[in-house]
Amino acid sequence: MKRMTLIAAALALSVSAAQAQEGGYAVLMKTLANPFWGAMAQGVEDGAKEAGVRYFAQAVESDQAAEPQLNVCNTMLQRKPEAMITAAINSTNLLPCLAQANAAGVKVVDLDGNLDPEILKSAGVEIAFSIGSDNVAAGAQGAEWLVSQLGAGATGPVLVIEGLSGNITGQKRAQGFAAKLADLAPGLEIVASLPGDWDRGKAATIANDILTRHPDLVAIFAANDGMALGAVEAVHAAGKGAQVTVIGVDGNADAVKSIRDGRLNASVAQLPYLVGKQAVVDVAKAIRGEAVAPVIHVPTLVLTKAVLDAGTEPLLAYVK
Amino acid sequence: MARFALASIDHGWTVAQRVALERAHVRLESLVVLLLLGGVMAFLSPFFLSVGNLLNILLATATIGILAIGATFVISGGGLDLSLGSVMGLAGVAGAWTCVTLGLPAPMGVAACLGAGMAAGWINGQLVTRAGVPAFIVTLGMLGLARGLALVISDGRVIYGLPSGLVWLGQGRPFGVPTPVFIFIFAALIAHYALAYTRFGRHTLALGDSEGAARAAGLRVERHRRALYVIAGLTAGLAGMVFMARVNSGDPTAGMSYELTAITAAIIGGTNLFGGRGSVLGAMIGALIMGVLQNGLNLMAVQSYYQQMAIGAVLILAVFIDQRQARGARA
Repeated sequence: MKRMTLIAAALALSVSAAQAQEGGYAVLMKTLANPFWGAMAQGVEDGAKEAGVRYFAQAVESDQAAEPQLNVCNTMLQRKPEAMITAAINSTNLLPCLAQANAAGVKVVDLDGNLDPEILKSAGVEIAFSIGSDNVAAGAQGAEWLVSQLGAGATGPVLVIEGLSGNITGQKRAQGFAAKLADLAPGLEIVASLPGDWDRGKAATIANDILTRHPDLVAIFAANDGMALGAVEAVHAAGKGAQVTVIGVDGNADAVKSIRDGRLNASVAQLPYLVGKQAVVDVAKAIRGEAVAPVIHVPTLVLTKAVLDAGTEPLLAYVK
Repeated sequence: MARFALASIDHGWTVAQRVALERAHVRLESLVVLLLLGGVMAFLSPFFLSVGNLLNILLATATIGILAIGATFVISGGGLDLSLGSVMGLAGVAGAWTCVTLGLPAPMGVAACLGAGMAAGWINGQLVTRAGVPAFIVTLGMLGLARGLALVISDGRVIYGLPSGLVWLGQGRPFGVPTPVFIFIFAALIAHYALAYTRFGRHTLALGDSEGAARAAGLRVERHRRALYVIAGLTAGLAGMVFMARVNSGDPTAGMSYELTAITAAIIGGTNLFGGRGSVLGAMIGALIMGVLQNGLNLMAVQSYYQQMAIGAVLILAVFIDQRQARGARA
């Protein structure tokens, strides 16, 4: 009985203590288990400071938790934010929430380019702008750097490890790489392009299998650093570290360490810190009624041992 | 208002209400925990006690709640279904594929979702009862099979753009309440009645309590068990349909590890993991406890990692209280 009285007291208190604090920017990311999103969160924080705005950020437990992310999105709308900055887990899972945000006059921002313009159109969802890395360009940068190392006349088999099958980001990077490579060095032939599902172990297995089939392999391009790091270990285990050039995408901390150690050859670094920071600054502009481009591409940077050792590249400041 | 409801639990229960609660196999403690949690959340976040937010909680709980119905039936009958989440993903893809890729009308999409779920459940039941493979293994295998098939059918991609009739099932708001909430409550009421008040339900609990005794009493044990797996599959199909309609697309990764959350809901609600006891209403309260916990923590912008810890702790606490009371009752 005593317990019940306590509960009732707590409830009575709750009514008096509850204070509304509406507004601010809602930032919904995928999962903080990935350092990429951690760096972006840091950028958001600094951007909010710079723009002088309040924000609240949330993420879900994994980058496949589509429904939980939708539920969190709905919950965030309850706080009546001024803007909804979202990195959707796939191109459709947040649409009902974003439509509601539209209806409430909340500005919607596509963080990291996960939404599909055509689907947005057919769903009747309007976004203020989309901001992120240009994944096709990132793949192409990888190819450019590879050719700068091997020369335009180089020949030999090349392996491409794609992301999760069907994932648009991985596809764009692989396509950008393949197109640029065919353009710059037709002698370098892509002998296999296989989905590594963003999985380090799977990428290592693929690298092993292709090395068996093509012992003269000259290069591997992986659509993210995790997979590139798996592949590079397989290459070194096979004793072909000097023969095979391995390139990843992301520029995450593990990759930077591996590059410094002279294992991974290069990583096309995204700058999530810059993406997060600029997203907040630009949405503040959009809310003030200033013009903001509908698609904003944040630059990517090829990280190599030489670039890291020299440390003169200004964009290096944003590599976290 | 919440205060009034709690006070009535304290003092106002009539004998008839207590009996009704007991017959429904709902533990008073779980209801108290739910209301207490609601009170704490309302105290901590000013956004909690709005109609919009309470509807959000029901909407967010719908898929897990529907799966928890299936988990309750199978588990209280002495079985286990680990494939619920994967089958949910498969069902959504099957429905979207039927409507988008084949271009068939909305009712066929619904049929595809429910049919895919029941088919998976039927296969589970056949393998468990006829091939004699343990339920844990069969449904663990189905977890992989269904997920893989969903990825194959969809080519790993989200299948977008359902007919408007189907979308209404997920995004419609008749009387201002989201359609999935109606589907969820309707399914829960039917299932609760079936488990608590019908012969089928009594047989299920008898089977879970002691297969030998149920057999000796003349129950067709294998047939009944198969029916339970089909019911579980049906709930997975329904949950898949609801999520598919909500996001207007078939997502092959939908429902990842939901089977464990559904089982957690059932157990928090008082279902015995080894069968013989179970309540659908209890499972709904279990699912709502998790829903309220998640919603409240989300409103306070608490990192999702802590949410998982909180739910794990609630599960252990619920079973601990249950065990202690069971010992107390024997003593």
